[in-house]
Amino acid sequence: MAPTGAQTADLFAAPAPRDAPAPPVSHQRRRNLWYAVVFAGTPDLYPLSLHAQQFTSFVSLAAPNALLLEIQGSLRLFGSFVRLRELLDARWQALGVPAQSAIAPSTLAALWSARVGQELCSDDATSLTGRLLQMPLICTAWDAARLQTLRSMGIQRLGDLLRLPRAGLARRLGVQAVRDLDVALGRQPEARRAFVPRERFRERLDFETEIEHVAYLERALEPVLERCALFLRRRQAGVQSLALRLRHRVRHPTVLRLGFASVTSEPRRLLEVLAQRLGRLELPAAVRAIELHSGTLQPLSAVSLDAFGGGGRDTAVQLIERLRARLGEQAVYGVTTQREHRPEAAWCRVQHLSLAAPVASSPQPLEAMPRPVWLLDEPVLLSQREVGELRLESGAGPRDPERIETGWWDGKGVARDYYSIRPARGAKLWVFQERHTKSWFLHGMFA
Amino acid sequence: MPRESSSIADLLADARVWKLKDASASHRLSSCRPVWSTGKSALDARLPGGGWPTASLVEVLIDVNGLGEVQLFLPALVESQRRTDGDVPWLVWIGPPHEPYAPALAQQGIELGRLLVVRPPSATEALWAAEQALRSGVCAAVLLWLKGTDDRWLRRLKLAAEEGGALGVLFRPERHRFESSPANLRLLMTQDEQQPRLELLKVQGGRPGLVDLGAS
Repeated sequence: MAPTGAQTADLFAAPAPRDAPAPPVSHQRRRNLWYAVVFAGTPDLYPLSLHAQQFTSFVSLAAPNALLLEIQGSLRLFGSFVRLRELLDARWQALGVPAQSAIAPSTLAALWSARVGQELCSDDATSLTGRLLQMPLICTAWDAARLQTLRSMGIQRLGDLLRLPRAGLARRLGVQAVRDLDVALGRQPEARRAFVPRERFRERLDFETEIEHVAYLERALEPVLERCALFLRRRQAGVQSLALRLRHRVRHPTVLRLGFASVTSEPRRLLEVLAQRLGRLELPAAVRAIELHSGTLQPLSAVSLDAFGGGGRDTAVQLIERLRARLGEQAVYGVTTQREHRPEAAWCRVQHLSLAAPVASSPQPLEAMPRPVWLLDEPVLLSQREVGELRLESGAGPRDPERIETGWWDGKGVARDYYSIRPARGAKLWVFQERHTKSWFLHGMFA
Repeated sequence: MPRESSSIADLLADARVWKLKDASASHRLSSCRPVWSTGKSALDARLPGGGWPTASLVEVLIDVNGLGEVQLFLPALVESQRRTDGDVPWLVWIGPPHEPYAPALAQQGIELGRLLVVRPPSATEALWAAEQALRSGVCAAVLLWLKGTDDRWLRRLKLAAEEGGALGVLFRPERHRFESSPANLRLLMTQDEQQPRLELLKVQGGRPGLVDLGAS
């Protein structure tokens, strides 16, 4: 006796064991519609996903050979899911990859139907259970051991499985299998990871004959740059620099960096900068291959869409990011004061710049005595002769030292007398005398 | 048809027609942009507008560090951060000869949270960074220390400063004194017997010559 869909659903909704809770079906949840496509063999899913992304914003890879597309959001654009399915199927055909597809309100229902080639093209959630009943178990792509267990129990189709008590099912097959069934029946949404395309552009072009002239090189690079621009445009992204490697037969490759004033994906701008760089380039040897690498892609802003950045003003974040992108993280930093009497410890570098926060007024330094604008990395020991000259040139010699004696507790104690001196020739200096050794050091310069 | 009937657009397109719009624009550039006091009345008196001009490039020729060259600009930097009512603008120091000492700057009244120190690996990168910072419009002033550069880059910096409304200050050695420079202001700082000597080499809208700093 073949059970009806409603009966099966009732049976299956028996009280759940603790380890496999059946979540309540939420009707408020935004309805999704899934298009699943299963390819014959194991094709490279990456380029196929890129194609799929032209139809929807959510593509998910189902390894090893399937894709899942959320199409509810694309229906308005394409008219109906039937039409959309035709377009997608036509695309796979045009690409020459044999494929089977299905549309269902749940991810696994679509995927399982597509996998066994059972015709399913419906957005009706209520009839979903009934449609799944006749599907062979093989469609689930569960591991062989599990399928063997079920076959030995005389279970051939999903309908047979759904008649079993839920608790026993969870015990025999594992929680994951029960969860899969829940997902397929649309009782539980499935968290799927969206496909994110590779974030770099990289292309290598080998020449049949070596190129010796820059002008030919430019010609050869033009289509590569155009492909790069297209790659960027598809991602709503841009780059601020590109690296171009020119490979030679024996020499090390010549590396060119193409830098842009703002994030861009304009082929015209890419080409222009390339032409500028190539114009200044002297080829050290004939080029047999080129490689173009984009750096990390950056989102295009309305400002960067502006033809040449024109009147577009940056924000501080953009400025700092750009400086850091080109000069390195460590090369761009802030400074702040520390509550500490030892001069060399009274400041520190700040790598994490608080950009958004309103600036509290700078902490007032502890010392009231004037401090020099420049501090030497390490105090410089002055020779006896230099000290003598300083004394001589600063007239009667330094007066009114500032005594700094602190830090004895952490082993880096200092006991110094600081003086500001202006020698007759040269800069105004900040020197100190070590009180124990009586030797003199230069520690900073007033500027 | 008589010539008088030509349209106003034709008239305006004629380069010989003097337009009030242009006049007001250049007027704004020359005298109405804000100036920041140098903190030394003797120097202020010699500068058009009475202080460092904003949106311009100032070049300081100096061989020895520590003649008070930074001190010339510190009051202006403090003022530039205070004056704006909105967000506090940034100060960018590119390739300073030593570590800028935070306690000293805080003593002077600089907002350290809006000071950026940049250590570029080469002169070209330094110039690039300066151009970016000047042009960005978020910086009040950009101080740049360089060994040498060419005229073409200085022109770019000047344009960037005008575009971003920032004060660009370039410190470089005295040997560049006799090279042409597009900077709005050129100063020469040397060490005299007793005190630093400041000479204005070029002042747009002012008179070059020696400045007596001792008087202030």
